[in-house]
Amino acid sequence: MGADVSVVAASEPGCHIFNDFGCGFEAPTVSLFFPTPWLDFGLPGTSGLNKYYLVAVVALIIAAAFWYFTTRRSKVVPGRGQSMAEMLVGFLRDQVTRTTMGKEGDKFLPLMVTLFLFIFCMNIMGLIPGLQLPVTSNLAFPAVLALFIFVLWNVVGIRRHGVGAHFKARLVPGGVPGWILPVVVPIEALSNFVIRPATHMIRLFATMFAGHLLLALFAAAGFYMFNPLSPMGAGFGALSVGYSAIALVGFLVFTAFELFIMAVQAYVFVLLSSIYLGEAMEGAH
Amino acid sequence: MNGQSRAKRDSQESTNANATTLISYLLGGLAFWGGVGWVADWALGFSGLFLPIGLGLGLVASIYLIYTQHVRS
Repeated sequence: MGADVSVVAASEPGCHIFNDFGCGFEAPTVSLFFPTPWLDFGLPGTSGLNKYYLVAVVALIIAAAFWYFTTRRSKVVPGRGQSMAEMLVGFLRDQVTRTTMGKEGDKFLPLMVTLFLFIFCMNIMGLIPGLQLPVTSNLAFPAVLALFIFVLWNVVGIRRHGVGAHFKARLVPGGVPGWILPVVVPIEALSNFVIRPATHMIRLFATMFAGHLLLALFAAAGFYMFNPLSPMGAGFGALSVGYSAIALVGFLVFTAFELFIMAVQAYVFVLLSSIYLGEAMEGAH
Repeated sequence: MNGQSRAKRDSQESTNANATTLISYLLGGLAFWGGVGWVADWALGFSGLFLPIGLGLGLVASIYLIYTQHVRS
């Protein structure tokens, strides 16, 4: 965000409010989410190697390093790092897997913990100075994760109940008279096989996309309005600094709020994954 | 796990499932039957006759599904 916002706000020298140039405020656009590729292979429908890949790798390294450093010397009486890791695992076990799948969900706990931490690290990249790009604000990343859960959901259901029973449970709602089935079966199919995985990925993508754009807007507005040496006089200069301060306070408040949202969205993604897997294990509803 | 905590877990699980499937049922009903209505309009040369009928049918069917799967059960 940082460099892009500076370019947007300061692309025209002298473009500030309360001066003779005006120029108008240029809000950050979706171009923030299409970084220039460093290496473009020219393949159709691909973005080449760009900042998203670098940030995704950094997120992966941070997630892996967290586990390495907190668990490399595990003891019965845990240290600070190990306690943090155990708290995270315990929280996800009690609030996610056991709530949705019961004790049987424990076998999915490693997956859920890994997913949570990886998604949280990808989200939090939006707040790391110098990187400032949440990986999940690119639809491709949440899409792959949601697709993986969708495939796993089918695999778990098929292994538990068999192909016929799994798809019957997902397509034919129980307790519905036969003559209504032609009306409701397409809805059930669309709901389970298209809309649910789509909303699963879009929920994460859209919140990260919108949150990042909002932060960029506050930063660009604060930068644009800051003009203490306004040619229109010291009063206007002071006023511009006041306006800028309001935007920057908004930026700080929303940064804190965004941090909360990043954790919540990682949790929601994992919770929904767990609910879907629990449902596949349960069979017909 | 005792009976009370199992009932509590089941109840919470049901609430979670309701919340996540409700929107997909509503969207699915409107999208599918609205789409069928739109195609029927296009194929039969009408403008805006079957689309609202399809949307209405989809909405009613979605609400019926929500009722049978998550309210009545």
